Amino acid sequence: MDTISILEPLLKILFIIFVALLPAVAYGVLAERKISAFIQNRLGPNRVGPWGLLQPLADIPKLFFKEDIVPAAANKFIHSLAPLISITIAFSTFAVIPFGDTITFSIGDSSYTTKLQIADVNIGFLYILALSSLAVYGITLSGWSSNNKYSLLGGLRSTAQMISYELSMGLSLIGVVMLSSSLQLDDIVAAQGGYWLGFIPKWNAIPQFLGFVIFVVAMFAETNRLPFDLPEAEPELVAGYHTEYTGMKFGIFMLSEYIAMITASALIATLYLGGWQAPYLEHLGLSPFLMSVAQMAAFVVKVFAIVIFFMVVRWTVPRFRYDQLMSIGWKVLLPLALVNILLTGLFVILYH
Amino acid sequence: MTFEQIVFYSLAVVTIFSSIMVVVQRNPVNSALYLILDFFCLGGLYLTLNAQFIAIVHILVYAGAIMVLFVFVIMLLNLGDTHKLADRLNMKKIIGIAFGLAFFVELLYLLGFGTTRSISQQSPAAPEIGTIEYIGKVLFTKFLFPFEVTSFLLLAAIIGAVILAKKKIIH
Amino acid sequence: MINQVLQSLPYIVPELIVTGTLCLVLLLSLMMRKKSDLLVFVAALGLFAALAVLTSQPFASACLFFKMTVIDPFSQFFKLVILFAALIVVLMSRFSDEVNQIKKSLGEYYFLVVSMTLGMMFMVSASNLLMMYLSLELTSLTSYVVVGFIKQSKNSSEASLKYLLYGAFSSGVMLYGISIIYGLTGTMELSGINQVLAQGSANTAMLLIGGIMLLVGFGYKISAVPFHFWTPDVYEGAPTTITAFLSVASKAAGFAMLMRALKIMFLDSSALEIGNEFWPLIHGIPVVEILSVLAVLTMTIGNLVALWQDNVKRLLAYSSIAQAGYMLLGLATISNEGYSAVMLYFIVYLFMNLGAFYVAMLISNTLGSENIHDYKGLGRRAPFLSVSMAVFLVSLTGIPPTAGFIGKWMIFLSLINVKMIGLAVIGVLNSVVSLYYYLRIVRNMFLHEGEKEEVAIRYPLAQQLLLLCLMVPTLYFGIFFNPLIELVQFSVQMFGIK
Repeated sequence: MDTISILEPLLKILFIIFVALLPAVAYGVLAERKISAFIQNRLGPNRVGPWGLLQPLADIPKLFFKEDIVPAAANKFIHSLAPLISITIAFSTFAVIPFGDTITFSIGDSSYTTKLQIADVNIGFLYILALSSLAVYGITLSGWSSNNKYSLLGGLRSTAQMISYELSMGLSLIGVVMLSSSLQLDDIVAAQGGYWLGFIPKWNAIPQFLGFVIFVVAMFAETNRLPFDLPEAEPELVAGYHTEYTGMKFGIFMLSEYIAMITASALIATLYLGGWQAPYLEHLGLSPFLMSVAQMAAFVVKVFAIVIFFMVVRWTVPRFRYDQLMSIGWKVLLPLALVNILLTGLFVILYH
Repeated sequence: MTFEQIVFYSLAVVTIFSSIMVVVQRNPVNSALYLILDFFCLGGLYLTLNAQFIAIVHILVYAGAIMVLFVFVIMLLNLGDTHKLADRLNMKKIIGIAFGLAFFVELLYLLGFGTTRSISQQSPAAPEIGTIEYIGKVLFTKFLFPFEVTSFLLLAAIIGAVILAKKKIIH
Repeated sequence: MINQVLQSLPYIVPELIVTGTLCLVLLLSLMMRKKSDLLVFVAALGLFAALAVLTSQPFASACLFFKMTVIDPFSQFFKLVILFAALIVVLMSRFSDEVNQIKKSLGEYYFLVVSMTLGMMFMVSASNLLMMYLSLELTSLTSYVVVGFIKQSKNSSEASLKYLLYGAFSSGVMLYGISIIYGLTGTMELSGINQVLAQGSANTAMLLIGGIMLLVGFGYKISAVPFHFWTPDVYEGAPTTITAFLSVASKAAGFAMLMRALKIMFLDSSALEIGNEFWPLIHGIPVVEILSVLAVLTMTIGNLVALWQDNVKRLLAYSSIAQAGYMLLGLATISNEGYSAVMLYFIVYLFMNLGAFYVAMLISNTLGSENIHDYKGLGRRAPFLSVSMAVFLVSLTGIPPTAGFIGKWMIFLSLINVKMIGLAVIGVLNSVVSLYYYLRIVRNMFLHEGEKEEVAIRYPLAQQLLLLCLMVPTLYFGIFFNPLIELVQFSVQMFGIK
């Protein structure tokens, strides 16, 4: 192994975490507060900096300096382990998401080309499914180790919820895989280039509309966002699985929730909305380097549009009851996902 | 030692350690967590053998689905007093230990002295066999029949699970 | 590739019919919850159709689905036994009060019985360790459920759980054995394993470990002695129809699998001479010794423990363990003659054992008891039932002129032919022991007065007809057994053996 092959992914990882994800989370929280304020006809944070823009800088140190309380009856090791599991898994999913095409840096005569993706594994699809199935551990273990009834209920609810919706999520993705006949996220994005009839972008969301809807709903459930935030439903469970968490451990849970939301948005964009493909961009005649940058920008725009959609839904839709949640998962989404596979299969056979 | 060997030995050590801990731990949740760790290491070992599909499916199915249900059930049962689970050394246990040890020694002997063939070399076809394309192809041709039988197995198991769960017991 | 699959399909039409039947039963039970008679009709019709197709292709011999499974006279024979047993069991279930009390999930009951049948059919024709394991699991999983869900009692649930735990453990051990054998030989296909073993490159000690682990799986299915602990509890806790099915069909399937694995894996085909009764085995594996020990243990323990049983189903459970011991004797001869004797025994066993369980079920329908003491005076209250029970029990003991005698006679004959006199003597002694407990039931029925008032018990004609269907062959084959011998001598042929 030469230095460059170790250094390159390392640089990408650092870029993703510190340049992209962490600031995105910090301002994601602010955006959420602002959006909720707008929806509820309030002003929202506006004291720190112009329009409250420096609010995250005030919030983060606060979380760091708060006292870290571990309940006396808690299982201390697992209590500390649980937030780490959550955050690790939230970060790891981003490893296989392509956030752009290849990019070429040229300094003088020498040039260096690299893919805008940390790891281009050919089972990227399964990797995502595996990680999303592991995400439940952080919440479940935090609920159990706190030794608190509310926490435990939150943890149990989230287990049941995530297992139920994972199924529909995985099945709805089969349609995408059938259309692009690859499990490599890179290929899935590449297959979404070009146009139908010369002007409709070839995004998967159009032929796979049913799958798209199922996937988005399942993603809401997987990230425990409203209307599926039963694991932390305030009126019933105090704060659910993180009732007994304080300080930065609580902060890590919040961080991982937002990262999970951003990752989910990135997945939706990659799998259904063309990823980094930006329609009509090739007509502008940009240089290859600028083209890559523009594609990255297109990806970021798509992701943020979906993140804002997540937030608007949170503040407009009421929470489901637990039995409703289960019956939606098993009696509506699962059969629909199966129907989607059948229809896609028919389509693929007839089309080819 | 090459890079592969370092990876292999560190994974192997953690695998063995965590499997022992699964059995030794008193607290069932801890046992389950060590089992999950064990599955991860096994997944890693599969990766070193170029079996990507098996590796990821192993983690997806065992660590991600089956063990989640295990943990779920353990938490629901809420086995507070873990000392009740520990049973004393009795005849059954001694016989079990004796059989286990005998089997272990036998395996060690066989691995140490018995095998004439060296199996340290990986088959050149291994990278191809591990891919999902290859597995898909084989699954729907050579292994089509077992595959279909498996689907019936699962159908029967699902229906069985549902009716057993609905059963009421009259004392 | 696809051609081979398509060419294989016509050979498995009986399996396809059974598959269709089980889907149909499931759908019907979803749509028409109330009509239980329709379910019985559909299930029986499907099994009968499969039986009819099966008998129309007796000479089929082929290797199917990329050597996963084979069709040969041997597998056709066992499928016949299994389908026939399934048919009888479905009809029995129609008359069983314990089964019919669960009105809600009758559909699932028949579904599970038919899928168990399907699993057994795959078992007997599997020629690949993978297929063997999968079909064994299909059979086992369905039987765990069907054992437990009918009776709403603690006993039944306990039986089901015990069965599940034993089953899971032994199939796990079997799987480990399969993996060792695969590691040694590089193939899971039986004839491929045979070729590798014939070259002598595989490590014998390792092979022995793998083989014994494989045997744990088989031994559990046929309830041979160190693996028999589940049998009495499960047979007692399960509804009688299922007990009958497990004791006949499941055992037949397990035996068929064991017989095929033994012969195809360990036969040294280079030293095989035509006309030689004793097959040459690949050197170094003590197959005969292991089987002989198993057989003796199984018979003796089964018979001795049966002496103390008061529950008829439990008694018949131990008796069926003992019967498995006699059949293992036939296997221990490692000859075609022994094999065909075991197969003959299965035809006989099918009628007499199903018959005995059927009578026990009818009696428990009216008396509500399975205790041997409640059988007192039944000879007068239900003469036809008692006489047929006596016939079945005499046949199980192996006394002429019943068919059971012919079955045992053939096995002992094959033992004497290969000069295993000692084993034959142990077998005969065991039969003498078994006479005591079988006749205890007969004595209670005929020679003891009942304590309660002697009201004659009447059974509907249909129930008596089914009983007749089981009793007549038990007597008929005891006298006219030549066609059976011809059938088994033909059916002992396996695919891929010269």
